[in-house]
Amino acid sequence: MASLWRSLSVLRLGNSIITGEPVCKFSHLARETNALAVTSHNLSSLMVQKRDMSRVKHRKPHPFFWWTKKRRERNDQEITEGNQAFIDQVVLDKYGPSYVPNSTGMPYISPLKEIVNSRNEWTTRSIRTGVIARKIGIYPMWGKDGKRITTTLLQVVDNHVIKFISPEECQRNYGNRFGSLGFVIVGAESADPQRFTKEYCGLFKQSGTLPKVRINRFTVTPDAALQPGTPLYATHFQVGQYVDVAGKTIDHGFQGVMKRWGFKGLRATHGVTKSHRRGGNIGGGGEKGRVWPGTKMPGHMGCLRRTMFGLKIVRINTKYNVIYVQGGSVSGETNNFVTIRDTFLPRKRFPEAPPFPTYYPEEAQEPLPDDIFDPTLHNFSEPSIYYEDKV
Amino acid sequence: MWPANRVANRQLLAFSRSIWKSSTQSCLPNPSPQKDEEDRNGGDVKNVTVQKVSGGQGDNFAPFRFVYPEFLPDPRIDWRNRIREKLERVDMLKRRSVVEIPEFYVGSIMKVSVSDLNAPGKANTFVGICTERGGCGLRANFVLRNVIDGQGVEISYEMYNPTIQSISVLRLEKRLDENLRYLRDCPIEYSAFPFDMPQEIRNPDDPVPVNTMKVKLKPKPWCAKWQLWDLKGVEDFSDQLEEWQLKKLKTYNRINNTEHEKYDLMKIYRKTIPAEEQSEIFGEVHHQLAKLTQVLRSQKRKRQFAKPQKQA
Repeated sequence: MASLWRSLSVLRLGNSIITGEPVCKFSHLARETNALAVTSHNLSSLMVQKRDMSRVKHRKPHPFFWWTKKRRERNDQEITEGNQAFIDQVVLDKYGPSYVPNSTGMPYISPLKEIVNSRNEWTTRSIRTGVIARKIGIYPMWGKDGKRITTTLLQVVDNHVIKFISPEECQRNYGNRFGSLGFVIVGAESADPQRFTKEYCGLFKQSGTLPKVRINRFTVTPDAALQPGTPLYATHFQVGQYVDVAGKTIDHGFQGVMKRWGFKGLRATHGVTKSHRRGGNIGGGGEKGRVWPGTKMPGHMGCLRRTMFGLKIVRINTKYNVIYVQGGSVSGETNNFVTIRDTFLPRKRFPEAPPFPTYYPEEAQEPLPDDIFDPTLHNFSEPSIYYEDKV
Repeated sequence: MWPANRVANRQLLAFSRSIWKSSTQSCLPNPSPQKDEEDRNGGDVKNVTVQKVSGGQGDNFAPFRFVYPEFLPDPRIDWRNRIREKLERVDMLKRRSVVEIPEFYVGSIMKVSVSDLNAPGKANTFVGICTERGGCGLRANFVLRNVIDGQGVEISYEMYNPTIQSISVLRLEKRLDENLRYLRDCPIEYSAFPFDMPQEIRNPDDPVPVNTMKVKLKPKPWCAKWQLWDLKGVEDFSDQLEEWQLKKLKTYNRINNTEHEKYDLMKIYRKTIPAEEQSEIFGEVHHQLAKLTQVLRSQKRKRQFAKPQKQA
């Protein structure tokens, strides 16, 4: 239970800083679980109210100014073709090829000579790392009962562990914010280092990989620490497991109240002029004669980080590193980056040990099949579904 | 054999849903480049398919886009991803290896049997004319229309739904229009087909015939403004239009002038999958598709020898 509380509080705090996620869902869960060991101080910290719809938005400039500058300014140096080819060859020899978009999401190479992780046993308190994926589309699948479900396809694209930050270092930097948790920094999609700044490339010295297009950090318990350079696969997760998928929602720009909040607008006829799509009144009179904070009004819509909690994995394609998640509600457009990790919902966490700290294909007894299906899901190569007549 | 009233009622529900089903195809009288292409081929689609499946190079895959349109992805660039499309095609071929999904067009008369939990015998069979065909990938679907107890019924089927037990084409033919939604406003005899209709025997190498029949619209009210649709399979109905409607129609044609659209290369490019990509896609799947059709055809022949059909 303590681990649950820790995870919840970490998530909340992490959210307030990193993700901007609503907390009310978790405070609701906290009441359900009826925990006794929580002090009033902890409880009050959990019960901080934050609106789900985020009417009062916490917009922050992104990327943050304290982050390392990523992209390099392109200055046209007059490099001869021969020299350019030489540079490319050096990069290729040292790190291997960079990731080609629209290929199998497999990491081309593992920079590790051997796995030197100290292996720990999985406990119910353990929090594993997540992976970075691209949302590559949505298509329907059918259950064995003939029921149609929508699945979102998430491709785990060339993931490597970049760095592990220990809990001690974490506490030194952030105080007690993350408790006894550390960070695993994961990168996706190796790219040509000439595209990035020298400082950004320096982040990848430890892992021995090419600089990555996208990096993310995941809070982990120290027993789930990973060696920098470890490749991560879609099989980090298991079929039937529940995951949280976070991504940036579609950016709609500045929108009116009808699109943004679903207002009805005013009438089309009966003397209404020039206000068919307006919201109408926004405040009362008298003592409270002002516009209340949080009133739904036109403004910027979308482009916010949102997490879908407790989505079920119904199928995994090990050849193309694709995870099929039930539901079509994963935030973001097609080809956007999302992060996937084991769910924090206490009732949907897995009862059995997952691959811990991650899946190592070298250590697998036998190679996995190309497609792993949930037992409730219909495989298209199976015969059609017939219902038996109950007599 | 006519289905029970209860089934008909359920189908009515499906009909009412399908009425409001949004179509991906444009309702406006746009000149479609695919249609033109089809006309130039002279409707000789099947013939070309059979001859060129073995060749498999360059634009030899052109007929595939009419026989297997659902293998082409949605051309909208924001929604495209090569890996997703590839995985989708693999699943489609897997399903096609289990159940025969025959070649059919809008206007063909088809018979579909489906597993249905609520039907007596846990299965339901429906015969009707294909009025619409749409969707791509695993979302591909078609609509069948028939008249049951004097009531028009339309059912939308998903082609790759595993509850479908069998699909067969009773009469393979094409019509003049992209969809036959206007049959809703026609007398019922145009969309009434008996459920015990026998399958027409045809040479698979023959070209698919085009039915040039022109149907007659019922007097108003209609469920759509058919005058804006540039329908080819409908008799002239301008006598039913009011003067102001004809006047407005002129304005409409002027505003939505479709004359220039055939020169709008970007518009065509955005609305279609380029020919190179098409040959890439069909180059992947044509071997398996040819194999599947061969296997299924030989199976059918065997079945026919084993169980000769009764001639009425």
